[in-house]
Amino acid sequence: MRRVTGLILILALAACSKQEPPPAVPRDEPHRNAPSERVAAPVSPAPAAKVEITAATPPVAPPGGPAPNGEAIFTATCATCHMADGYGVPYLQPSIKGSAWISNPDPQLLLSLILRGSVILGEGAKAYDNDMAPQDHLSDAEIAAVASYVRLRFAAVPIEKPVTPAEVAVARNRPGLP
Amino acid sequence: MKKTPALLASLLLALVARGALPAPDADNGGLVLPPGFRAFVVADNLKPLRNMTVAPNGDIYVKTREAGIYGLRDTDGDGRADVIKEFGSGGGTGIALRGDWLYTSTDSDVSRYKLTPGELVPAGAPERIVRDLPNKRQHSAKVFAFGGDGQLYVETGSPSNAYGGAKDRALGAKGEDPTEFLKHHGGYWRFDPDKPDQTQDDGYHFSTGHRHSTTIALNPVSKQLFVAIHGRDQLNTVAPQFYSEEDNAENPSEVFHLLKDGSNFGWPFTYYDPRAKQRKLNPEYGGDGKKLAEPGKYDEPLIGFPAHWAPMQLAFYTGSQFPAKYKNGAFLAFQGSWNRAPKPQKGYKVVFIPFNAQAMPTGDYETFADNFAGKAELASPNDAAHRPNGVAVGPDGSLYVSDSSHGRVWRIIYTGETK
Repeated sequence: MRRVTGLILILALAACSKQEPPPAVPRDEPHRNAPSERVAAPVSPAPAAKVEITAATPPVAPPGGPAPNGEAIFTATCATCHMADGYGVPYLQPSIKGSAWISNPDPQLLLSLILRGSVILGEGAKAYDNDMAPQDHLSDAEIAAVASYVRLRFAAVPIEKPVTPAEVAVARNRPGLP
Repeated sequence: MKKTPALLASLLLALVARGALPAPDADNGGLVLPPGFRAFVVADNLKPLRNMTVAPNGDIYVKTREAGIYGLRDTDGDGRADVIKEFGSGGGTGIALRGDWLYTSTDSDVSRYKLTPGELVPAGAPERIVRDLPNKRQHSAKVFAFGGDGQLYVETGSPSNAYGGAKDRALGAKGEDPTEFLKHHGGYWRFDPDKPDQTQDDGYHFSTGHRHSTTIALNPVSKQLFVAIHGRDQLNTVAPQFYSEEDNAENPSEVFHLLKDGSNFGWPFTYYDPRAKQRKLNPEYGGDGKKLAEPGKYDEPLIGFPAHWAPMQLAFYTGSQFPAKYKNGAFLAFQGSWNRAPKPQKGYKVVFIPFNAQAMPTGDYETFADNFAGKAELASPNDAAHRPNGVAVGPDGSLYVSDSSHGRVWRIIYTGETK
């Protein structure tokens, strides 16, 4: 019950107060849409710990099929909002370039974000207009592939170590954040 | 004989007022315009701008998205702003003049400032007219206009794509029952423009069933209100089994409507397909790209603009400077798309909407001012040089345009020169 109250409080705060949206794009640096730190900064997000949403049961991956293609999943699922270059859309969806969530060597926070959506960002999600829905319809193997892809492509320092489906399963089965 | 100098002086003044247009910029401020039109930059590198209005004395008022209101004044007659003052706070989108009152909206309130004749910046604090409108970030801009009845019409958007619950915008999103939600979202509400501190429940719920509208203006001839509505996003993300990237890039329309008492624009159940010219069911509510909406249940669009262009401010052309065909037609700024990706982004222009003798749109529209993006092929809104947002007609019939990305203000004039 207390948990529910906490969630309602967060949602009520989200409804009432508006954080300053990201600054405009500086003319000569058209790609610096908004500092990704705005959303990415909270590596240990305090309010989000109260949000204990259990992700759905993983979809069953087709047995014996080829390993999922992280780039294809990024294009079909992520790029629609974060754009193909990862720089997002001013005011609406954040840039993920250099995001602390992606750049953290431990993938668990990133996996929780993918599985549970922007609700886990708590206050941080208010910097942008649109919410990110939970992407828990993706299988463990698909999320591992796309997480590996974005870590390699968008982390502040490219992370070559692939994320495994087992790590996704850990994130999926954990109630709340690591 | 005694009267002659005074007469001459007033004639001269009239000539100056009517004839002496400021010199345009050699590059028209980067815009591409129809033959005979020129443009120049009034102010540049301001904060990101939203809607604007121009006072009878030529002073320009333009909203900033996150901060105050700019007052821009030209003191030496060259058309460029020499005095730039910012006042107020709270950001927002809507702004309009009504007599000596300057009305303005944040994402939750509508307020007004009393202007002092001759003064650019209002002296006193704003008076709040409508307060505490729903604001959940998404689709939170609150545009407004004054109707033919003098009342204040204020929009409250739907903080949602297609009311798809927790999975809104994601694969397999399922629509929920919007009945309660629509009681306070997705419509226009009518208020008394002179009564302070009204809440949404004090207003009259005038229209329903829209996602978000940032476009409303009063037709100067029929005194009817016209609106444009932002269509939904991400058909192919939600239902890739029914919609290709191409289908999503071209669907659904940004629709243009007459705003009537009781209008229902069909969201979240339906969308308008501009190519088929049909209203279809949203996939969140059982649509498959083919199933049509129940006929006759929702208002039919008067114009189906291309998908994702993002219609912003609308201004009827009441001036006389431009050629006769523009009189009582309307200019509409499209801020430009993001959800056409991976197809190139579109919009980023001001279009002209012709109206017929019955003060209704003919159904056509034409590009008026273009090249705001500064490039032919655009992959992302981040790459656009400018994004047009506000449009307003000045007292001499010039058209002003504001920029939501880099804070530029243009003035477009008709010189008739064709080189």
